[in-house]
Amino acid sequence: MLDDFHANSRPRVLRPLADFGTRAAMTTLRPLTGVVEAAAGAAAGAGISLERRAVDRLLASDELERILTTTVNSPSIQAALQHVLASSGAARLVDSLFDSGLIDRFLERLLANDSLWHLIDEIAASPAVTAAISDQGLGFADQLGDDVRMRSRKADDWIERAARRLIHRPPKALGAEPDAST
Amino acid sequence: MSGGTAAGLRAVETAPDRAAGYAGLATRVISFTIDAALITLVDIVIGVGASLILGLLHIPHELRTLLLALGTALFIVGSIAYFVVFWSTTGQSPGARVMQIRVLTTDGGRVTPKWAILRCVGVVLAALPLFAGFVRILFDSQRRGFQDRLAHTIVVDMPQPSLAQVSRAKKRAIYEASRLPPSADLD
Repeated sequence: MLDDFHANSRPRVLRPLADFGTRAAMTTLRPLTGVVEAAAGAAAGAGISLERRAVDRLLASDELERILTTTVNSPSIQAALQHVLASSGAARLVDSLFDSGLIDRFLERLLANDSLWHLIDEIAASPAVTAAISDQGLGFADQLGDDVRMRSRKADDWIERAARRLIHRPPKALGAEPDAST
Repeated sequence: MSGGTAAGLRAVETAPDRAAGYAGLATRVISFTIDAALITLVDIVIGVGASLILGLLHIPHELRTLLLALGTALFIVGSIAYFVVFWSTTGQSPGARVMQIRVLTTDGGRVTPKWAILRCVGVVLAALPLFAGFVRILFDSQRRGFQDRLAHTIVVDMPQPSLAQVSRAKKRAIYEASRLPPSADLD
């Protein structure tokens, strides 16, 4: 509408002159547009390169670790996370995740995968696992042995005390400790 | 075996090798019961095997009696040999190992085979008069029975690392040795 207003307000005599001026200006400025576009492209390239260098330096420095540590240890962040986890929305989200059957489907697919059972077989047959199981068995035998030994030592003392009481003799004082260094 | 592994195993074998006191009657009875069970188990296996083999053959009655006597003699000799070998080598029969007790001479040395045989005889003699020879253990200051007096021995408590502890220590020593730099083995 504004163009129409300008077009209508412009005297008809001046219109050819104005068109001529516009075309002359465009012809004059056409070489400059290429230069401007090239300059803009170079500036953008330089900006991207600068940005990449800045990201590389950030990743290489300890600053990122410090930022992450500070963020995780931040009381406000932790409080916010706890608040989110304690909210009913989080519970509803988890409920909806289970109700969707996605996990059931995931488990079905996982259990149907032969690679999983192959991995489990490999882990079960690994030396570390078999050693842990045998250690567990030995540990149980140790525990049993310790218990029997402790009770037998108590029984030793009890039988001796009873025998001495039976013949009215005072409790004995054991002799010097034997030398078992050899 | 690398130096680290050997040192670790040496530490396990020698660290708790000290006596804590004299073994009493109950401990020794349990130890003997374990040994008797082991001997009986082996004898049952051998006896059943021999019976199966002899059952296939037609053996006269007299020879059968002779074989029975021979088997009994072998049982007695085997039982004596069992105790003599263990007492005169490690000082511990398997039952004594479980109960962590050890037979030593009165001066703390290893029992020789001759004295180990004499101790075996002493055990039998102590058991004959209704086990009266063992009653002395209850009243002796060193808990010595008739067989100990006869063979000049004592039975001492011998705290030792258990099988699981030894197994764990071996694995730890091997693991630590494997983590040492190669130059550490040259020391």
